[in-house]
Amino acid sequence: MDRKRTALTVAAAGTATGVVGLILLATPAGAGEQPPALPEISPEALVESVIKTEKIPAMSGAVEFTSDLGIPVPGLPQAGSGGEAAHVYTDGEGRARVSISQGGSERTIVHDGTTTWMWNSADRSVQKMVSGEHEKKTAEHKLADPATAAREFIGLMGKDSTITVDGTARVADRPVYQLVLTPKPTERTLLREVRVAVDSETRLPLRLEVLANGQAEPALRIGFTDFETGAQDASLFTYTPPAGAKVTESKPGDHKPSEAELKEKQNLFESIDGKTVGEGWDTVLVGKVPAELLTGEVKSGERGTTDPSRLLKQFGKEVSGPFGTGYVISSKVGTLLVTADGRAALGAVPQQVLVDALGAK
Amino acid sequence: MTAMTLGEIQRPDARRAPLGRLLRSELRMVLRRPRTLILVGLLALVPVIAGIGIWIAADASANSGNSVDEGLAGLVDGNGLLLPVFALVIGLNMLLPLTGAMLAADALAGEAASGTMRTLLLAPVSRSRLLAVKAFGVATVTLFVVALMAFTGTIAGVILLGGDGMMTMSGTTLPLGEALGRILLTVLLVTVQVWALAAVALAVSAWTEHPLIVVVVALGVVILSGVLSAIPALDWLDPVLMTTSWMGIPEVIRDPLPTGTLTEGVLRAACYIVIGYSLALSRMLSRDG
Repeated sequence: MDRKRTALTVAAAGTATGVVGLILLATPAGAGEQPPALPEISPEALVESVIKTEKIPAMSGAVEFTSDLGIPVPGLPQAGSGGEAAHVYTDGEGRARVSISQGGSERTIVHDGTTTWMWNSADRSVQKMVSGEHEKKTAEHKLADPATAAREFIGLMGKDSTITVDGTARVADRPVYQLVLTPKPTERTLLREVRVAVDSETRLPLRLEVLANGQAEPALRIGFTDFETGAQDASLFTYTPPAGAKVTESKPGDHKPSEAELKEKQNLFESIDGKTVGEGWDTVLVGKVPAELLTGEVKSGERGTTDPSRLLKQFGKEVSGPFGTGYVISSKVGTLLVTADGRAALGAVPQQVLVDALGAK
Repeated sequence: MTAMTLGEIQRPDARRAPLGRLLRSELRMVLRRPRTLILVGLLALVPVIAGIGIWIAADASANSGNSVDEGLAGLVDGNGLLLPVFALVIGLNMLLPLTGAMLAADALAGEAASGTMRTLLLAPVSRSRLLAVKAFGVATVTLFVVALMAFTGTIAGVILLGGDGMMTMSGTTLPLGEALGRILLTVLLVTVQVWALAAVALAVSAWTEHPLIVVVVALGVVILSGVLSAIPALDWLDPVLMTTSWMGIPEVIRDPLPTGTLTEGVLRAACYIVIGYSLALSRMLSRDG
């Protein structure tokens, strides 16, 4: 019977070790830890120090993005198979490298001080841009940089919110202050609060969480899962396009759009006629939807043609009111209303606010 | 159990056979099985076939102007050193787990089915050593198969698709030496993942006498993991699923190397290896012959 007992011990010990290992792997770092003790700071002082920190130190960080909006939103970075959506490197002197994984492909953006290179592995293309133009081009990639996104948000929303410091926590294994922005009671919004984790040392926002009413988990969360300051390998900030890649080059003022192109753009811009109604949390973006968008078929990328009005009917709910009839698409953090006569309103607000905004026009 | 004790008593001087000889004879035995040889040959052909496929597709798409394919496959065209990585990644979907499961099935359940297990248990070799020799056989042949796939893949890639250096998914070019380093790293990572599945299969193999059951259970584990990881509501389960590490393998061709994901994959595999082998060992120790 001795051998049987040994056998059981071996089985139990080995299985337990393996299972504990798996559980440890599944446990996010820092879970269940005591929040770090940090010196007290007033919300005002914290906000000011965040907005003042323009310079990002030399660092490397992994960024994770999760969303629970209730509807799929195209264009947002997807979490990669490893859960890492992007990796950011900077050398503290304006040179940076961002890698964004999108499903099976990757985008790499390298800014070496004078030139910006944008690589897309899906079609093996490289865009080369000499400085000056990259700021607006990379605007879409700011999403991948939680520090910038959070700082802009605080600057924008500060005056319509109650700002509190809700203790401390650990993000990416660094002690942080939890800055909480709550909409003032007069604000009519779907959002309950926005939480920004501010690094106690560098005063960089390390995580941004958007929580909607009646939701325990954040509707949107973007933040570093790994963050290390320190000098980075200089070779990260240089880029040589690989052989066989399509390189397109553009310089500031190099691309002169033809007159017809310009006119078309202007027409489209005029036809949308966008403006904002209200300010702060219940800002509503009001505009017109170009008629051909509502009735015709629009080519959207590689997926062939889609009919936007059919999409509206599929995702939206038919409503009517003082504005006539239309479709409303609601998610946990925002609502979109498109009327039958081609007006549209969008905001992080309940449907009624959109209706008011359309009426105010 | 009694037989074992008797054996020890009758031949006290021959209690331990030299380990090297045991390992050699096990390897010789595994590699002499016709089914192993056929499997090894077919797996070595996989990268070549994949290379020819991409070569033809690239020719066709050069005329139409579209890119070959999305993701990894799209990068392999004109980038031959990526072919072994690509071949191993697609191999890990089904073919390599199948190989690992088959080897594990033959190792213990196969012996039991053909009645030779009894002889092995009577031999002057301790049970734990017997399992170690069997596990060694499975692990070495797995490593051999994976390395062979990488080898034929590299050769086929360079000949069919060409390209000097390796273009990574991050759009950088690695020189030949570093590229070969990445291929070697892929071989090791893929091998460890196959070992993890083979360890689970070996545990099943110790408990049954039907090799087919081992293969079915192992593939069931693979398919179930795949299904569970595809359900968004069960995302919290992902960190413990074996297939999560498998899907992380293509990260190996990103630059700089994302060590975090890859290390986590190896650790996860190590957990499964510990569980699998300890369960197999406990069955071997308590087995009556």
